[in-house]
Amino acid sequence: MIEEKKFYLTKEGLERIKKEYKTLRELKLAKTKGESPKVLHSEDLNPEYLAFQEDINFLESRIIELENIIKNAELIKLPRKEKQNIVDLGATVLVETDGQADEFTLVGSLEANPSIGKISNESPVGSALLGRKVGDAVVVSSPIQTTYKIKKVKYHLS
Amino acid sequence: MKDLLDFLIEVGKLKGKKRRGWLIHGIKDAETTSEHIFHLAILVWVLGKNRKLNLEKVIKMALIHDLCEVYSPDLTSYDAAAIKEKGRVTINDVLTIKPITGRPTTNQRKKMEKVKQILEKRAMKKILSKLSPNLKKEINDLWLDYENGITAEGRFVKQADRIINLLQGLEYWKKYGRIKHGLWVRRIKEVIDDPVLLDFVKVVENKFCKKCKH
Repeated sequence: MIEEKKFYLTKEGLERIKKEYKTLRELKLAKTKGESPKVLHSEDLNPEYLAFQEDINFLESRIIELENIIKNAELIKLPRKEKQNIVDLGATVLVETDGQADEFTLVGSLEANPSIGKISNESPVGSALLGRKVGDAVVVSSPIQTTYKIKKVKYHLS
Repeated sequence: MKDLLDFLIEVGKLKGKKRRGWLIHGIKDAETTSEHIFHLAILVWVLGKNRKLNLEKVIKMALIHDLCEVYSPDLTSYDAAAIKEKGRVTINDVLTIKPITGRPTTNQRKKMEKVKQILEKRAMKKILSKLSPNLKKEINDLWLDYENGITAEGRFVKQADRIINLLQGLEYWKKYGRIKHGLWVRRIKEVIDDPVLLDFVKVVENKFCKKCKH
């Protein structure tokens, strides 16, 4: 199932995707090279054939998904030095919200994992923080208003 | 067939497992894990329809996403909020933690996530141990996809899970008033990025939060 859009990825993220793509292609080749199980077992459909077919279908759909990601990938780059106080993709942002300090790293949707502080640039908070700088108070509203005061912006991109 | 029966008996235990997040709030008729699974499966089905998603995979993923909870605790962000900021956190620390109904920091979430992953992987291995290799692989692959948001389906179900929690939390808040609903409504803005799910969040907020205090 294809999502036609740009995929923002860190260098490590893109490498991971390419590695998975390579592995899955090799796996598919190895699976289809040998003899596949027979369709029928006595008069019934052979369960081994069904499992084999399911595996191949899964591999194919994931390979297509990965091809699309690689084709539309946009590498997240370190901004110029004078722009490193501005929040962009790849930035780690120290904020104060609800009177508490917190830290987020802004990533593309594919690498988002809010449980470890990696938030998507397409989430309401991620998109509100983009383009803002140290000292700004970013308000995310509707219906409960939350203010994120930007304390520090850092970049750890390789 | 005997192994499948044993598996089903074990999975059935989720029908009686009340969810920890609601128990922390003293909700008497708290939802069980299987009730939560049922609700999520319906949500991903109706919101996943007519999308570029493999609906069969999405529904199966919702059905198995919390299977590990037969043997692992359903740790919440309130448990994470009680984790010490500095130093190492052991499995035992997490299992004996006294939850706090507040917002955990990213550092606390990271520490919790590490322990949670170990406990859940162990539990998943145990619950799937007697299944045939094909079924074991299918369930495990779906679960890893959900956990790590590998495919579009995994990311969709993971985010939908947060929304179904929000919905249940707001329903309890309306009924009992004990839920820190403001925290939930704020947090959802950090975790959802799927456009259809974001639209749905707005509908949920409009129904429950018109008079929410800022």
